[in-house]
Amino acid sequence: MQRPIEKPIGTPVDELDTPALLLDLSRFDANAIRLSDAEQPARAEAWVHKTPAIARFQIGLPGISGIAVRSIAEAEIFAAAGFDDIRILRPLATHASRRRAEAIANTATVILEADRPLVGGDWFEDAVTVSTRVIGVPEPGRAILDAGQKAVGRDFGDPRLLGRPHCTASAGSAEHGVVSFPGDDTFAIGDWLQLVPADIATAFALHDFVYATRDGALEAIWRIAARGAF
Amino acid sequence: MRIGEVETPALVIDLDALEHNIGVVADFYRDKTIRLRPHVKNHKSPQVFAMQTAAGGTVSGICAAKVSEAEVFAEVAGNVLIANQIVGDDKIARLATLARRVDTTVAVDAGVHIEQLSRGARQADAVLGVVIEIDTSMGRGGVRTTQQAVELAKQAMAAPNLRFRGVMSHQVPRARSPSRKQRFAEGNHWIARVLEVREAIEDAGVPVELVSTGESWTYDVAALHPKVDEIQGGTYIVMEVPYAYMSEFRFAARIMGRVVQRLDASTVVGDVPIDAIGAPNGVPTVDRPQGVQVVSLDHHGVVLRGDSIAVLSIGDPFFLLTHQQDVTMNRWDRYLGVRNGIVETVIEATARGCIN
Repeated sequence: MQRPIEKPIGTPVDELDTPALLLDLSRFDANAIRLSDAEQPARAEAWVHKTPAIARFQIGLPGISGIAVRSIAEAEIFAAAGFDDIRILRPLATHASRRRAEAIANTATVILEADRPLVGGDWFEDAVTVSTRVIGVPEPGRAILDAGQKAVGRDFGDPRLLGRPHCTASAGSAEHGVVSFPGDDTFAIGDWLQLVPADIATAFALHDFVYATRDGALEAIWRIAARGAF
Repeated sequence: MRIGEVETPALVIDLDALEHNIGVVADFYRDKTIRLRPHVKNHKSPQVFAMQTAAGGTVSGICAAKVSEAEVFAEVAGNVLIANQIVGDDKIARLATLARRVDTTVAVDAGVHIEQLSRGARQADAVLGVVIEIDTSMGRGGVRTTQQAVELAKQAMAAPNLRFRGVMSHQVPRARSPSRKQRFAEGNHWIARVLEVREAIEDAGVPVELVSTGESWTYDVAALHPKVDEIQGGTYIVMEVPYAYMSEFRFAARIMGRVVQRLDASTVVGDVPIDAIGAPNGVPTVDRPQGVQVVSLDHHGVVLRGDSIAVLSIGDPFFLLTHQQDVTMNRWDRYLGVRNGIVETVIEATARGCIN
């Protein structure tokens, strides 16, 4: 499991240990309110973030009831966290998985067929970043980051560097990211940066904790409890 | 439990293959002075590290990419080499605390690194070992010139609470699937570069006690160079498809999945989502059944197609091989160790997710 340096609530976001998965709550809340529709009943796609604390917020919004997960293992974790209306998207192909579904059905409604539309994946747009620090500038125009494929993911492509449109970021290695930058936009060892992952669900699949922030300060640390429950 | 009863998806380790891979290195290094430094980023498991040291041919310590990763092994490793640059007061304080528990060395490529490490080690009343990283083919960390390395070595030698130890590098072959001849030519080229820097540092009056380089693909090349002390090796442990040119090693890790849906006569869906295997360098290869290809892979599963699909029923197993083993291993909290079709052990990936 991830072993970050612990910091208290209220810590400025750029003082958190890196790499860290950051969720900007102001942006997430605004997206959620804009994209949810009280007139259109829907399920929240909890498999995207795998985080009970986020799913709890989602099902509190008008129109949202129940969650959707991918696997029986994810369903077990969300049921244990108190969720009582769970759709499992993957067909149950074995006796063992059907028995496990029956066990969950003792505490939650388990849905195996399509019912309500699924929403919530795009609520994370512009709200999720992975913080990183420059660990080296070994040659002009090239900065090395402490976040690579294991921190930001590359399964759906390279990340983007937030707020630095003239720079090209790459999660080129498992442990390192690389930024190529033009001469007039320089980087120094220790600089704090934010990478925008190419795919939100991949980013959540890599971390054990998500750092919820508001106005640049840490508001909550949430366990990504269903990470690895494939 | 028989492998047929395993709930999927699962990461299964072929224990015979794992032991074989560990044995190849142990046998090769038995009568040599060079040793392998196990890179724990590739397996994340103190249990696998114990197998490596028990077989022999290894140093007593580990190589790690991150401070938090090294901490997991602090109680079982004789010493630690962090083959990466560590920056920032918080993280260096943590590194210096680790150095009070276990002999710890870290790689640098800039004067700022040395200043920060020296200050942090002094504040913690610790001593940190330092090696200069030399860029050989990777284009990421590492000094680009011999002169930089010599200056950093002098600076590290003079810095309070630091112990200058030597040089390290990491390299990959340029050829996609090099022949043995190409592999030795490239390996010798990069290792010669590291030794050239070593000599320049010694010529400047700074003694060098450690030359550490990697990776698995040069484990035998490095043995030709008496001044190389150790190879940082990790890929050989479970292997990956693009590394198949190292044919003395066997694939030891597979993602086991099951068919959950049939789309048509030649196409099925399996229960392995992309985040369970990771695909930064291309989609996985189907190992079993034969004659089957991955046609797509996303968060909901894998679509398989091929001539032999017709015989697959819902619930039947299949096995995938990764193209980037350490990314795959890092997705799993535990691996199932299998021999002769029986799950013999559960291997805990204690350092999974240790990216800090």
